Parts: sequence; C-alpha cells; structure tokens
Amino acid sequence: MVGFIVSRLTQSALVLLVMSFLIYVLLGLMPGDPIDLMIGADPDVTAEDVARLKALQGVDRPIMERYANWLERVLVGDLGYSRLFSRPVLEVLVPRLAHSLVLMVVALVLSLAIAIPIGIYAARWPGSWTDQLINLVCFAGVSIPPFWLALLLILLFAVGLGVFPASGMATVSDGGLLDRAHYMVLPVLTLAFAGIAGYTRHTRAAMIEVMREDYVRTARSKGVAEYKVVWKHALRNALLPVVTISALDFGSLFSGALVTETMFAWLGMGKTIYDAVMGNDYNLALAGLLLATVVTLAANILADISYALLDPRITYRVERRG
Amino acid sequence: MTVRRLLSVLVTVIVVWAGNATIAQARDRLVIGINQFPSTLNPIIDSMLVKSFVLAMARRSVSSIGNDWESFCQLCTELATFESGRAEAFDLLDDDGKQTGKKGVRARFTLRDDIFWGDGVPVTTRDFVFTWHVGRHPETGVADLRSFQDITNIEVQDDKTFTIVSRKLDYRYYALNGFQLLPFHLEQKAFSVPREYRSRTLYETDPTNPGLYNGPYRITEVMPGSYIVLKRNAHWRGKRPTFDEIQVRTIEKTAALEANLLSGAIDYIAGEAGLSLDQALAFEKRHGAEYQIIHKPGLIYEHIDLMLDNPILADIRVRRALVHAIDRQAISDRLFAGKQPVAHGSVHPLDWIYDPDIPKYVYDPDRAKVLLDEAGWSVMNEGVRHNAAGQPLRLEIVTTAGNRVRELVEQVLQSYWKRVGIAVRIRNQPARVLFGETISKRKFTGLAMFAWLSAPESLPRTTLHSDSIPTKANNWAGQNYTGFKNAEMDRLIDAVEIELDREKRGALWGEIQRIYAEYLPAIPLYFRTDTFILPKWLKGVRPTGHFVTTTNWIEEWRVE
Amino acid sequence: MASARNLDMSWRRFLRHRLALVSLVVLVTMAILIAFAPAIETGLGLDAEEVDLFARLAAPNPIHWLGTDELGRDLMLRLLHGGQISLFVGISAALASALIGSVLGLISGYHGGRIDAAVMRFADGVISLPLLPLLIVLAAVDPVKLGFPEAVAMSESFSVYRIIAIITLVSWPTVARLARAATLSIRHRTFVEAARAQGFGATRIMLRHILPNAASPILTAATLTVGNVILVESVLSFLGLGVQPPVPSWGNMLTGAQDLISEAPALAVWPGVLIFLTVIAFNLLGDGLQVALDPRHPTARGDSS
Repeated sequence: MVGFIVSRLTQSALVLLVMSFLIYVLLGLMPGDPIDLMIGADPDVTAEDVARLKALQGVDRPIMERYANWLERVLVGDLGYSRLFSRPVLEVLVPRLAHSLVLMVVALVLSLAIAIPIGIYAARWPGSWTDQLINLVCFAGVSIPPFWLALLLILLFAVGLGVFPASGMATVSDGGLLDRAHYMVLPVLTLAFAGIAGYTRHTRAAMIEVMREDYVRTARSKGVAEYKVVWKHALRNALLPVVTISALDFGSLFSGALVTETMFAWLGMGKTIYDAVMGNDYNLALAGLLLATVVTLAANILADISYALLDPRITYRVERRG
Repeated sequence: MTVRRLLSVLVTVIVVWAGNATIAQARDRLVIGINQFPSTLNPIIDSMLVKSFVLAMARRSVSSIGNDWESFCQLCTELATFESGRAEAFDLLDDDGKQTGKKGVRARFTLRDDIFWGDGVPVTTRDFVFTWHVGRHPETGVADLRSFQDITNIEVQDDKTFTIVSRKLDYRYYALNGFQLLPFHLEQKAFSVPREYRSRTLYETDPTNPGLYNGPYRITEVMPGSYIVLKRNAHWRGKRPTFDEIQVRTIEKTAALEANLLSGAIDYIAGEAGLSLDQALAFEKRHGAEYQIIHKPGLIYEHIDLMLDNPILADIRVRRALVHAIDRQAISDRLFAGKQPVAHGSVHPLDWIYDPDIPKYVYDPDRAKVLLDEAGWSVMNEGVRHNAAGQPLRLEIVTTAGNRVRELVEQVLQSYWKRVGIAVRIRNQPARVLFGETISKRKFTGLAMFAWLSAPESLPRTTLHSDSIPTKANNWAGQNYTGFKNAEMDRLIDAVEIELDREKRGALWGEIQRIYAEYLPAIPLYFRTDTFILPKWLKGVRPTGHFVTTTNWIEEWRVE
Repeated sequence: MASARNLDMSWRRFLRHRLALVSLVVLVTMAILIAFAPAIETGLGLDAEEVDLFARLAAPNPIHWLGTDELGRDLMLRLLHGGQISLFVGISAALASALIGSVLGLISGYHGGRIDAAVMRFADGVISLPLLPLLIVLAAVDPVKLGFPEAVAMSESFSVYRIIAIITLVSWPTVARLARAATLSIRHRTFVEAARAQGFGATRIMLRHILPNAASPILTAATLTVGNVILVESVLSFLGLGVQPPVPSWGNMLTGAQDLISEAPALAVWPGVLIFLTVIAFNLLGDGLQVALDPRHPTARGDSS
C-alpha cells in the first residue's frame, strides 16, 4: 500500500512538472503580450514606451530563460506577482480557492444528498416507469448546456420572481452567513443540477449490481426485512463507487465551475484562471492552473486509495469507469 | 371648512414629508453597475476607462475637460494661458547652447487652497513635484512616460505655486488635463525603490487609506473583482455630494448586469462601461418606461483601417467604391435605432475643430460599380469581380472576436460588398491577437475594424503621419497601420501642433479632415454611443461625450 | 463464431430500449434535414447568408418558417447550417478520439509490459489534468506560433478544426482504457492464440481478431463522446473560444442570442433546444448500445427482479 502511494505521488509530481513546463510554453505561444494590448487602445503610447515596459516586465527575454527563472523562484516559494491584480499571486489565489471550495462542497453535498435516495429508489424496481422517468430526467440533467441553465435560473428566480440575487457573492459590506447563503443558492443549483443527474445514475447502477450479489439474495431469502436489505447490506457496498467517483469529479469540478462562476460573478478558481489566461497574466495563470492540477491529482490519488483499500476488485473497476 | 382644509394640508404635508423621508432613507446609497473591474487603483499606472470612472469620484486631476469640451481647472486656480500672463514661450537650445528652432514653454500654476487629502493634509506643490518624479522614472512603469518627460524642470515658488518648464510648446500648453497627483506624505516610501513602486504603492497595499484621495468621496472597501465602496470624504470642501455611499459593482456578463438592474440589486448601469448598444436598445424597448435612458455618442471612433500596401487597396477608386457600396445610415438606423451617428471622418462633430464641409460618401452602389469598372475590376465571374489578369477582387476583414456588435456590423458589410461584386472574407481574432500582432505589426492584408478612443482636438500624429508607420526597423512604433503617406498631411500635422492661434489652427484642422476624407486611408463607420440606464429618481448625470467620465461631476448628482 | 446470432440478439435488446430507439429516429431525422439544407435553401428560394436589415427579428411567417435572426437571416436555415457544424465537430472529434484511443488501447493491451505501462501512465496523466482550464489555454494559443502556415491558421473554418483537435487531445484516453481492457480480456482466448500459432503478424491479429471483439465498448464510448463534444463546443463558444462567426454553430448562435434574450427569446430557445435534444439523444443512444451490446451491464433491465 505504501509503495502504491509513493509511486502515485512520484508520478503525480512528474505530471505536475511536465504540466508546468507545458503550460508555460503554451502561455508563451499565446499572441500579444499585455503591453502590445495597451498600445492597441491608446494612440499616445510610443515605441520607446513599449520597449521600456517590455524590458521592465521581462517579456522581452527568451521563453526558456523565463521558465527557468520562474521555476527557480517557485521552488523557493515565490509565485510572483499577478499583473492583473497587482498583488502577489498567492494573495489573489487563496481567497478565491476558498470561494471555490465553499461552492463545490455545498454543491457536492447537496447533489449526493438528493441523488443517493433517488438512485436507490430507481434501483428498487429497474425498468419500472418511475425508473425510466428518473433515467430520462438524469440524461436531461447531463445534456443541458450549463450556461443556458444558469441563464434560465437567473431569468426565473432573480428577474421574474425576484427571490434570489442574480449574481455576486454577498451584499456589499454585509457578509452575514445568511446573506452569503442567499447569494449561493442559484450558483449551487446550477452546479448541483448536473451532479444530481450523474450521481443518481451511478447510485442506481451500483445498487442494481449489488442487489444481484449473492449475499443480498441470501439475506433476502433468509427473510431479512427489505428496508434492512437495502439500507444495511446493499447501500454500504453500493456507495463505494459513488463516493469514489464524486472524489474524482471534485477535482475536475473544482476548476470546471468556470461557467457557473462567470454567470454568477462568483470569484472562484475557474474564473480566475480564465481571466488570467485571457488577460495574459502569466504568473497567475500558471499558479492557478498548477493549483487546479494539484487538486485534481490529489482527488485522483484519494479515489485510487479508497478503491484499493475498500474494494478487492480494484483493477476491474478502474477499467470500467469511463 | 377651514378646519378641513387645514387638515388636508396637514395630511398632505405629512404624506409628502414621510414620502420624502422614506425616499431619502432609501436613497442615501447609490449602487452603480459596470462591466469590468479596474486592474489597479493607482492613478498614474495604466490608463483604463473603468479606473478613471471609479477614481473620478475619489480624486480629481489638476485640470480636466468639461461638458463644453473646453479645459477647466479642478485643483488649480486658473489655466496658464499667455493671456493670463502665466505662460511664456522660450527658444529651445541644444546641448551646445545653439538655437534648435523649436520652442518650449514655461507655465505657472497655483493649486487651490481648499483641496485636501482625505486625512486632512493639504494638497501642495510637494505632491506635484513628487508625482512628476514618479511618472518620469523609467522603472516605475507608467504607460505614458513621454508626457512626464517632456517636463524638463519644475520651479517651485511656494507651497501652492510652481512653474512647469516643458520642452514642447503645443496648443495644449495651458492645461494639465488628466494630470493626477500622488500624496507625497504617503507614497514616498513606496517610491524608495522605483522598480517596486508598482507593487508597493498604497493604492494596492492599502487602498482604503483616506489620505490617498482628494475628491468628494474616498474608497472605503475594495473586494477585488467584485465591488468597490466609496464614502464621503470629510475633507472635501467642494459641493457636498448627495449620497452617503456609492457602491460600484462589477458584473462582467452584460446579461447578468441587466438582470441585476431589473432585480433592483443595482440602481444604475453606467454608460461608460455598461451594455452594448444593441442590448441597450432591446432593453429600452421593453423597460424604457421605467428608466431614464440617455444615449450619448462619444469619442470612440469606429472605423476600418485599409492596408494601403495591398495593390488592390492602393487604388483610391477601390477605396471609394468600398465606402459607396455600404449603407452606413441604414446600419445606424436599423441596428442602432439611429442612435449611433455615421462618421464621415475621424473628428467628432462636437469637437470645435470639426469641419462640416468635408467630402462625404453617400450610399451609392451604382457609383461603386462604376468606380470598380474604372479601376479595372470589370469581369464578373460567379458573382465576384475579376480584373483583366483574372485576379479576383477578394479582401479579408479582421476585427475583435467576441465583440458582438462588431461581428454583426461586419457581416452586414460583407453582404453589402457582395452585392457589388467584392468578396470579403471574415477572419476574426481575439483582441490580444488582433492588437498584439495583426494590426500593430501590420499583418492584416485588407481591412481591419477597430476603434480609436481619442480626446477633443487630438493630434493625429501617431495615426496619420508618415513617420508613424510601424516597421520592424522602428520596433513597430507608431499607429499609422494603413501605411498612409501624404506629404501635405505630414506638413499639416507638424504645423497644427505648434500653431497657437485658434483661428489659424481651425483652418489647418479643416485641411487635415479634407485630406483624410479625400484619400480615405480608413473607412469611417460611426462614433460609438454609450447608453446610460438610470433610475427615474437620479438626476444630474451628464454624459460628456468625451473621455472624462460622468463621475467627475458626481457632486452634481441628486435625487428627485 | 455465433456473431450473427449475437448481433441479432443485440438488435432485439436495442429495440426494447424505447428511448434509444426514439433517439435514433430523432438523430436520423435531424441528420437528413441537415444534409438536405442546401436543397431546402434553394427550394425555399432563400440564402442563409443574405443579410436583410429591414427584416430583423421577424416573427415566424410563410417565408421564414421560424422567423429571422438579428440580421434578418432565415433562422431555420441558420439552424440547419449551424447543425452541420455542430454535428461535424461532435462526430469528427468522437471518431478521432475513438481512432487514437483504439489504436493505443489495442497496442497497449496486446503487447503489455513497458509499452502498456507507458501508454497507460500517459493516459492517466491526461485524464488527471484539469480539463476546462486546459481547453482555454489551448484555444487561446496562437496557431501561427505552433507552426501552422498562416493561410491555414487564418481561414474561416480554422476554429472548427481547432476545436476538434483540442477535444480529441483530451478525450482519447477514455477510449484507450476501454479498448485496452477489452484486449486484455481476449488476448489469451483460443482463437487469438490460434492466429498467433499460425504465424500471423501482431497488426493483423489486432485488427482482424481483437478489434471486432473490442468494438462494442468503443462504439458505445464514441457515441457518448459525440454528445459531450457538442456540449463542450457550446461551453467554449460561451467563453468566446469556440467556433467563430460568421461560421454558425449551435453553440455560438446560442451565445450570441443570450444578449437579446428578452427581446427575441426564440433566437436563444431554438439552438438551446437543439443542443439539448441532440446531446440527450446521443446519450440515450449510447445507453441503448451499452445495454444492447453488453447484456451484463448493470443498466440492463428486466433480469434481476
């Protein structure tokens, strides 16, 4: 087990290093640096201004040299300055990381809380019309374009009914817990929508499989009460893949909530990375992307470990997850 | 009878008073929505519209440009004109003490004695000199270094009066429009290492420090990317502003911005950085009755630069045909409800230098066809004109991808040109590519649609002078992207810059506009219109039409 | 081998999956309509690209069956053209990832050992990347600096191919894993061993004997990928990084329409509904295929209770 973890960690570190280089070069391949952009809008900026600003921000040197410099500084813990925010990168990222985590955790917990009971219910009578209906709704949930859903929610709940704020994170200068929760409703709903659909299907599939297992059949034939069979014997085993998959999802959700964050002006990681990339903020984009990679990798490792610990059929299961 | 009348009067008074009281209570705060968050709050690093928008509430420049498009003093007592005796020209000498033939200017300004920083420290000459030192230092990283470096010396008379010695005498000598002061007593420490000023400035590290602001408000809370809160500045001696608190909220998605207005989360969408015009018009159609909507054509000049190195476009007949073939008035009327006036040149009609008699190109597709025939593009083949050599009349147009209004206009133009046999292909790029490479390094081959944000009476030296054509040799300096070379234009630009007599200058400006319209280095489209969506109760917001934002007069805003 | 009977049974199982069947019908209808878009265009005497400023945002009428868009173009024709692009992007990316994934998965599973380890570690690496941010970076890269000739990089349809390439880059590992798993499970079966004993080359064995038996999971995965790709394209369009106008796609039509949602909701409703319908249809179809081709799959119904 320890060997497994160590090898996964080394592998992850390697992925991280390769990623940092790739991202650095890719960002370097993006055309136009911030200074070029500046002259695009202002007829009074001169050539000398451009050359001077470029030298000042170091964008006139070759990319390999800049990568080496950057890596050297990162290894001693200096992630540099964000150009867009004129603040140290960590100072920008840490609060946004927190915002993202809050949003993700709430959405994830909500999704699981709703999806697991529905999934179990659907699995009780596979093929019944309720099962088919649930199945269809779930497919709808994963098929709807997320920004479209966000727009509909805003139109309905913010503009139409006026019950929830259209965007933002809190009333200015207020920040009571209730107030923040109020602002969180619509973004969480948007995120949870796809989550509920996905987890319901996973729960249902896992439950059906478990219910077929011998020990469940045995329990049933012994006359154990049906609710006991479901909740005690089957569920524990069925939940395993669901929880693992949610751990895996968490990694991708974490940086993938971009659309939701953009629509609701939620200052999270996805939005920050997007802004940094589009705004040519090298340091911030790099740090953000790497942080997202770290979280994803960590989620992967956790998922693998939980599988290895809890499920003897690990190899089979991992292959089947698609 | 009298009792009843008395009673009814009393009731009326109470109702009105109570009503006002509730309005006053509800209206001591104004929430403004904008679509972008300022990247820095430091007034001299980077020029950015949304930053000016926010900062104009909290600090004022030495002088500025008013609603009448004329300069006026804000922090100074009067402009330094020759007539007032505050300015004098002198001959510039070179290093050897010989005449250079050029003139410099000495201009004396006095700061008003009722201007204070938000911590009670008076604004003095010291602040001015300090700002000059910061601005002219090459490592500080200000965008427009030249304007600071043109000042060669500052002679300090006293706490409030100083004389600026400038090596450049031009027609703008008498004012310090947009010159922002930094508080010496707070910022000097940050400037001790100039290279790090950018990150150590208190505007970044302690933006709510009251001493950084000298306007009617001061910034009291900043949530980067989300909102900025301003409260009254206790040391402001000017007119007392109406609102106790101003909140500026950033919502980037304009659909969400609109939703916030409708749901009442924000009171007002600023025209300077708000909805795009087509969106604003759609909004007006549905909710126009519930809001005050002001459309104001501004100084943003939308146009299409033509690559004159392209042999097809080098022919003036083709350029003229391109303009005759498009119905700009119909575009303005149909797409923008007539709110976005067609431009016939780069000078805004509200600018005093505007010459109404310049040549105008009306929509005349037949004329366009004749011109194209004359230019040798007379063989029609599959709807596209070809010349005798069999070369098709094909051009490419680029603009900023993701700018919806531009993309729409582009497709309309494409359709118009198709009707006269000009095949125009659209290949848009993100702003960063377009301005970072394609336009700035003159890599576009045909047409490039973008905008210039200019100032009143703005000298087109960088855009039209033949010395300003970007080349690799000059490190891509200059913004004459079309490659326009015209000796007469060069001469006029040089002449107008140093002509101090307003009337004579006006005549020169007329000539410049005439040449521009005649030779068409670019196709003028329209002056972009800003739409201000205000609540009915907010009065006193007066869009200027130029780059100075409405917030520069926020103390005039009131509730009615 | 009883593959004919197997196929027949699969087909019956598929027919029992009513939703998948309906989806198939929907998709085929859609494909036919889209394929005949040019014919419909000439039949109606309209031009999908013809701008008419005097007929902006027209309501549905006998000439324009679904009305017109913000530039007076026929909405129905635009939707059909947009569908062409969206489906093309979806299907191409799915096929490309199926191809790359199958090849790598087959090689990896057949040869095992170091090759297997290398390919699979690489696939793991790609899967563990944060997807959306990476897509943004890739979409923002300057193709000229990547070595594409300028003429290609600047063509109108370049954005279409770029989307396909980017999505393929990140979606092949799923297929590779499935193909590898299938290969592993059959590479020691007798018919494979027999082929090997006869001295056939590895390539031939993989293509002739293993691939047909690994086809069902690959087919299922590819079907599901089509839907995902269409969704991803719409998200990238939302961020301004998708297919660029004037080339229409459902994604960029929807994105363009959201600014006018209150004035002309139909402009946003139609592409949204079409994306939704197509994606859900592909997903249901994939589900149906899974059930039909793999009777042991847990979503298969009717045999456990």
